[in-house]
Amino acid sequence: MKIRLLSSLALLMAALVLMVACGSPTPAPSAEIRAVLPTDPLTLSPVGKNDRNSELIGMQITDSLVQYDHELRIVPRLATSWELSSDGRTVTFHLRDGVRWHDGEPFSSEDVLLTISKAREPATEARSYMSQFERLVALTAPDRLTVVAEYEKPNPDFLESWTIPILPAHLIAPEEDLLTSEFAAHPIGCGPFRFVSYSPGQSVVLEANDDYWDGRPGLDRIEFRIIPDERTSYQALLTGEVDLLSVSPPIWRESRTSESAAHLDRFTFSRLNVWYLAWNQDPAGPFTDPETRKAMMLALDRNTFIDTVLYGLARPGTTTYHPDTHWADPSLSPRPYDPDRAAALLAEAGWADSNGDGILDRNGRPFRFTLLYPRGSQEIAPRMAAWMQQSWSDLGIVMEIESLEWRAFLERRNAGNFHAVMATLSFSSPSPDQFELYHSTARGGVGFNFFGLNDPEVDRLLEQGREQFDPEKRLATYHRLQQRLYELEPLGCVFHFASPVLHKPDLTGLEPSPLDLWRHWPGPRSWRRAGDGD
Amino acid sequence: MRRPSPSLLRQVVRRTGQAAATLLLVLATVFLLAHLAPGDPLSGASDAESFHRISPEREQAIRDLYHLDEPLHRQLLLWFGDLARGDLGRSFHDRTLVRDKILQRLPITFGLNLFALVFMIGLAVPLGALAAWRPGSALDRWAGASTYGLYAIPVFWAGLLLQILFAVRLGWLPLYGIAGPDAQELSWWLRMADRAAHLVLPVVCLGYGGLAYLSRFVRANLLEGAQAEVKRAARARGMSEWSVVVRHGFRQAAVPMLTLAGFILPALVGGSVIVEEIFAIPGLGRLFVNAVFQRDIPVIMALTLLSGTATLAGILLADLGYLVLDPRVRRG
Amino acid sequence: MGGLLLLAIISAAGLAAPWLTGDPSRIDLQQVLAPPSIEHWLGTDGLGRDLAARVIHGARISLAVGLLSAFLALLAGIPLGAAAGYLRGSVDGVISRIIEAVLCFPTLLLLLALLAAGPAWLRRLPDVVQLAAVIALTAWIPIARYLRGEFLRLTGSDLVAAARASGAGHLRIVFRHLLPAALAPVLVTTAFTVAGAITLEAAISFIGLGIQPPTPSWGSLLTEARHHVDKAWWLALFPGSALFLTVLACNLAGEGLRDWLDPEKTP
Repeated sequence: MKIRLLSSLALLMAALVLMVACGSPTPAPSAEIRAVLPTDPLTLSPVGKNDRNSELIGMQITDSLVQYDHELRIVPRLATSWELSSDGRTVTFHLRDGVRWHDGEPFSSEDVLLTISKAREPATEARSYMSQFERLVALTAPDRLTVVAEYEKPNPDFLESWTIPILPAHLIAPEEDLLTSEFAAHPIGCGPFRFVSYSPGQSVVLEANDDYWDGRPGLDRIEFRIIPDERTSYQALLTGEVDLLSVSPPIWRESRTSESAAHLDRFTFSRLNVWYLAWNQDPAGPFTDPETRKAMMLALDRNTFIDTVLYGLARPGTTTYHPDTHWADPSLSPRPYDPDRAAALLAEAGWADSNGDGILDRNGRPFRFTLLYPRGSQEIAPRMAAWMQQSWSDLGIVMEIESLEWRAFLERRNAGNFHAVMATLSFSSPSPDQFELYHSTARGGVGFNFFGLNDPEVDRLLEQGREQFDPEKRLATYHRLQQRLYELEPLGCVFHFASPVLHKPDLTGLEPSPLDLWRHWPGPRSWRRAGDGD
Repeated sequence: MRRPSPSLLRQVVRRTGQAAATLLLVLATVFLLAHLAPGDPLSGASDAESFHRISPEREQAIRDLYHLDEPLHRQLLLWFGDLARGDLGRSFHDRTLVRDKILQRLPITFGLNLFALVFMIGLAVPLGALAAWRPGSALDRWAGASTYGLYAIPVFWAGLLLQILFAVRLGWLPLYGIAGPDAQELSWWLRMADRAAHLVLPVVCLGYGGLAYLSRFVRANLLEGAQAEVKRAARARGMSEWSVVVRHGFRQAAVPMLTLAGFILPALVGGSVIVEEIFAIPGLGRLFVNAVFQRDIPVIMALTLLSGTATLAGILLADLGYLVLDPRVRRG
Repeated sequence: MGGLLLLAIISAAGLAAPWLTGDPSRIDLQQVLAPPSIEHWLGTDGLGRDLAARVIHGARISLAVGLLSAFLALLAGIPLGAAAGYLRGSVDGVISRIIEAVLCFPTLLLLLALLAAGPAWLRRLPDVVQLAAVIALTAWIPIARYLRGEFLRLTGSDLVAAARASGAGHLRIVFRHLLPAALAPVLVTTAFTVAGAITLEAAISFIGLGIQPPTPSWGSLLTEARHHVDKAWWLALFPGSALFLTVLACNLAGEGLRDWLDPEKTP
């Protein structure tokens, strides 16, 4: 037995030597890139469960009627033009002629009808699209290149839902379950790249579509390597096995000083996200009045934290209206670091240390609360929590920290069972409609208003904004909303984070949008690697 | 060895029955635990949230796809019913077949564990034997301290340092994964070499921690066996001490080794989350941990079934080994 | 016995932590990632917290997890193993089935499952207790199995026959004759259990479960240090050495204890 074991070991060693002898991995062909996905895509179907990786891949494989460009403007793609009826309820799309699917079949209005009907099916679980198309009462195709959509009510943001990737009707049976279909294993689209292969836990490979209607992409091949550990993916970038990587603040800092990363190009771009602190406005907790909530924000020295711990990769936030969208009200600015003003506001709100124990109290109740946040995904969260704990303890507030695994966190938060929560919120479109976040009917686990804001003025502005088509008037409404939110401070917007990207210098044309590096038009379609003949 | 007697056969049947009952109990417990855990399997597919509200009817229609609102005992019966038909169901997470998920990862985990075992035994047996040769000597103490020292290094640091040294600085070994990007185009031999090179660092990381206990185990058993023999036979026959250790120690140590063998079977199908995560290996460990985080109950159940079966089969085989080797146990 | 001595020193440092060092949670954003100096003799971490204070306070957590889980494992393992070995028959059958059932869950994965998604009452306990309880859930098994085997062997021996003949009751046989004979190796196993629990805590921290921040544990310090592997060597070196020495000490103490309790084995 021992001898057999030893000989297997010897075999292993021999194989190893052989491997070393034939050299390290060959360099990639010039017009190929390797990027990293931290997790497997949930599905390869471009329409399916809301999943960032699935969307990212789906958007390379297929096209949509319209798409956001890198400055968040809507651009025509499969639709060449569209008109809106005078009552704002009916929209007519004129489709592009001559577009072909990767298998050669022509694209037509049938494909659009099928895509929408699949998106609305519960079995597809495309919750986001499902909710957007819920207001659609009729969808018809008068001819091969025309689609008419009729809505229950006019909606100024109707184009947002038409960024949905279109699926080929000739490959998907109407009664078939999309997520378990053959199509979801081998997706075919009409986009700039075609699907080649997927090995679970290892890689997804795409290849250029030579017959793309808008011209062949500059890259021949995109390979997504699936690497869960960020350290490992960074090292893969250093060894040249990966060409492009989005990194976290600690790796970003390391890459700026380390010699082994000196050969890489780098940039940061702003994303539509906010790191928020939600104050539970339940009367049983300490955060019932706006003064207390504002004082909490004034006590945070956010600029110092950004410079020392976040390496400049964030900006202090004002409201959930991101400064990089044109909806943001320029008259508002982030609350400054002002501990004296914070103390004064707390005193105004009735907080005082009446029993001399060093802890503020009000109506006989000490100012103690627990901050809840999801653990695991971002290593920056525990640091932020520790920093907040200390900042507030200087004011006489006692904060406990509790972190929960993601789904347990969601359950607690959505049930309103917390004092304060900290998490991130990413926006998937530049739409100003934050009805589901702040409206009083979105409370109680129905929408996203788990912190329980209930303000008639906010409700009125939200209802008004989602029905205004005139851009000037609409902008004014949302400015008023932001001013009201700034007064109420129902949700503290701590930071907007920027995304740092490291890449090989011969990869050019990277133009990120605030939505993503990949998910916009043209995205990877316009990337190039120097030295290729394109 | 005697022929299996009727009583032995009865023992075998009884033990197998007990093992099956234990497995059912374990499966039911895991099922309940998974359902009672906080958090909903259908909530928050990804970390990024977006605002969407769908009508309660559609929400219910999605939940019905997974039978999530049926009473628990019915859901459990449904699962057992599917199992009886050889169907492990579909994942709650991405609705792919659980069977496919496991079959994709099982060979990888199995191969990794097999090599780790070879690595461990290949080093621990000689180390243990060397230590047992002169117990209490400097060699023995050095072997003990150094293997315990290895045991005290957290695997996520060992992995990182090995990667930096062998993959980044020296460039001798691949950094991650189970195959190079161009592996498909290589000849069979080179492909195997590529595989082997990818295995080296993960196998070392998986194996080094177990060296301490395994080598000490070998040492203790060799000593115990050897002592009894040394006193009698060796002096009489004038054998060298070394041959006593090897020839008699190993024979005496066969029974405890059998116990150890009972643990090898489950160890071969057990995943190892940390090594898989660091080296980006699609194995069963990450599958299980992700399934727990995602409350992906069908995957949790299938993996429990797999590890439970392997464990019980291992114990059963070890027990039967005792029965055959040691007739006294049969009466007990 | 060097192991025990080292362990005693580490425990003493952990116990005296509040007097030895400052506040391990005090943040100083002007001192982020400062190398070792007179003021911070082991340097500071990514929030400017004093690493010396964090490593020494971390000793409390790591040792508490190790000792408590070993204690809980003994508390469950001794009576169950003894009962199975002495009473035999159906009691043995039930306990053996329980052991087999627990073995069916993969250890680390069982721990993760319970910590991430365990029942609410478990998650209301203090972190250290939670972690120790979950580790003990599987750590009692080797103890119980060993004791069962020893009791099975000894019950049939002359020792017990003689005691029975002299009219000793069951309790007297168990406590006077069997336990003392079998306990020494159990204590040795316990030392290894402590070492195993301390390394498990580190592994659990890496997965993102474990002790809640900002309380420092060696596992969480080491996990954090992975983000600074290029520059802040002190972040990995000092907690790593502390963990290394403690685990080594536990194991050597176990070996030492074994040699001391059973001198015949080393001729």
